[in-house]
Amino acid sequence: MSEAKVQTGPLVDPYGSTRDDCAVIALKQVTREYAGHGSVVRALGDATFSIVAGEWVAITGPSGSGKSTLVNLIGCLDRPTSGELKIDNVDVASMSATELDRFRADKIGFIFQQFHLIPYLSALENVMLAQYFHSMTDEAEARAALERVGLDKRVSHLPSELSGGEQQRVCIARALINNPPVLLADEPTGNLDAANQTIVAELLQDLHRNGHTIVMVTHDPEMAGLAQRRIALSHGKVFCHPVGGPMVTLRR
Amino acid sequence: MFFRLLMESFRRQRRRKLLAGIAILLGTTAVTAMLALATTIGDRIHKELAVYGANIVIYPKADLLDVKIGGVDVKPASGGSYLKESDLPKLKTIFWGNNITGVSPELPVELAAARQSGGTLFPARAVGYWFDHDFGGLKTGAPALHPWWKLHGAWPTANAATQNAMNVAVGMKFAQQLGLKVGDKFSLHAAPGVGASSSTATVVGIVTTGDDTENEILLSLQDAQMFAGATGSVRRVEVSARTKPEDAFARVDPDSLTPAKREIWYCRPYANSIAYQIREAIPGAQAEQVRRVEQSEGNVLSRISGLMWLISAAALLAAGFAVSAAMATAILERRGEIGLMRSLGASKGAIAMLFYAETGLLAIFAGTLGYLLGSGLAAWLGARIFAGDGGSAEAVLIPVLLPVVVALALVVALVGSTPSIRAALRMDPSAILRADA
Ligand SMILES: Nc1ncnc2c1ncn2[C@@H]1O[C@H](COP(=O)(O)OP(=O)(O)O)[C@@H](O)[C@H]1O
Ligand SMILES: [Mg+2]
Repeated sequence: MSEAKVQTGPLVDPYGSTRDDCAVIALKQVTREYAGHGSVVRALGDATFSIVAGEWVAITGPSGSGKSTLVNLIGCLDRPTSGELKIDNVDVASMSATELDRFRADKIGFIFQQFHLIPYLSALENVMLAQYFHSMTDEAEARAALERVGLDKRVSHLPSELSGGEQQRVCIARALINNPPVLLADEPTGNLDAANQTIVAELLQDLHRNGHTIVMVTHDPEMAGLAQRRIALSHGKVFCHPVGGPMVTLRR
Repeated sequence: MFFRLLMESFRRQRRRKLLAGIAILLGTTAVTAMLALATTIGDRIHKELAVYGANIVIYPKADLLDVKIGGVDVKPASGGSYLKESDLPKLKTIFWGNNITGVSPELPVELAAARQSGGTLFPARAVGYWFDHDFGGLKTGAPALHPWWKLHGAWPTANAATQNAMNVAVGMKFAQQLGLKVGDKFSLHAAPGVGASSSTATVVGIVTTGDDTENEILLSLQDAQMFAGATGSVRRVEVSARTKPEDAFARVDPDSLTPAKREIWYCRPYANSIAYQIREAIPGAQAEQVRRVEQSEGNVLSRISGLMWLISAAALLAAGFAVSAAMATAILERRGEIGLMRSLGASKGAIAMLFYAETGLLAIFAGTLGYLLGSGLAAWLGARIFAGDGGSAEAVLIPVLLPVVVALALVVALVGSTPSIRAALRMDPSAILRADA
């Protein structure tokens, strides 16, 4: 796959509206505008697409094209100015701020480019923090999550004592700990060297094989190529592309 | 997890927290010292003032029967009723007799004085006193009860005078009026028809008192009795006694109490109970607590405590602002952390809780330390201010102040950090991803 294969121009969701029934994420004419100095910035305009359970979607686009805006909306950190955004068949627009906090803890697992680990907590505690804000801490579960990302020997290390790749794996373990239906990754390999990128990529592939839904912002064509589908953003407009690749099999 | 998070984050940002903590520490130290002093200062001032002057006066009961015409007291100033000097040793026999530290009988008598024998006569008021009287082993008299009197020369010695020649001390103004110096002689004349008619007085001392006594002649009690023609009589007795500071119970009428309560009242060294016991001991005597001192005490107290409240309020306010500033930067530095917690689904309440708990913890630490420091400061200040009473630096650890001071510290810290915590929570949680570009 190469950039040449990317078709441009607005597209109707290639899977059609029948997919909406099994959609984990469904946007209908979602617009997000920011009130700037005197003018209104339309960061995302009329976005309509859906992502089904188990799908791995890459969001690409140049800087300022609205990627973060879209990720914030899907991550329930922000709400659309207009349009309908459903996560797990619940309309986010109707929720109060507190309900949204709750909902976010339940539905979304964040994987950040900068890892965002609490520097004074150990790897284990960083994972348990997500449990704490979600419901209750369970050390055994947290250990199991770290083991799953291959960090069973690093549980009591502080983030500063871990390599970038290890930190990102702690971040992934933390994202997984509450079994959210959506994993939202923002440039998950943006801060990693090639070796660690491979480890994280393999981890994401493994998660995908196990049925996790992954929405991933990336600039890296190689990473984008791992996804089944690409959502390209340009000036706040959405273009959806099916991306074929040897290692991707779309389950339908 | 909450406590782990609290403890770990508490240990972070030491410099900022140290700053806020020191502000709270200083504020609570000031408040504790002020409160501790305010509560103990009453006792201390009382002790201090009790060194000076009488706190009980005794006079004849007959004086109670005021003779007033048209609101004017026409009872003669040195009326005809007297106490017996021979009754005074009974003071030592009352229940709190050992608390009596000074006794000073007085006998005023109106005389006339002339610079030279046969010269112009000036009206002169003379008062007989004990000067250095052996009162059952206690050396006491007017100088002991008026320690602020300044004497140039010596006090007249009792029993040293003969009928026609006596030693006297004179008030400073009286001395100026007659142009008298220590060693000078002048003549004294009694009112016609009373006692000894006249005598030559030698000035052995000149007294500065700051009050009317400066216009008077100070005689030995015996000489005054001779002039007044009232042997063995005194007009008034000032008594200084160690007393327990007056409280509400001190002011009750003992005769209205149950016998058991009355017993308790009687056996407490209130000025009132001592006066009561003196009335019992000396027939025909009226004894009363002197309130002059206590009233000025009250004035001093209210002024001092007003000032203290002001200082305390200012100290707390300053602490509040310092906490506010320190927390503003501390929380600003932790925006990322807050954003992460929001992304993990933490509600605003949960995060506010964490930060409030953190400042609260700081306030409890700093407040407790401030309480201890303030108590020490109060003891030190107390010893400084009241150095005169020979009191050492008594520890002023008042346990009830601890919760008060810690509560104040909490209020200051929580109120002070509220603006920054609110600002942090208003922050858009999506900023965490913006940071990643
Ligand atoms: N909070 C905001 N206020 C105003 N404008 C914003 C805000 N956030 C994003 N924008 C604007 O919206 C557009 C899309 O931004 P963003 O979603 O961050 O793009 P990307 O993540 O793809 O770089 C940009 O023009 C940006 O300036
Ligand atoms: Mg961005």
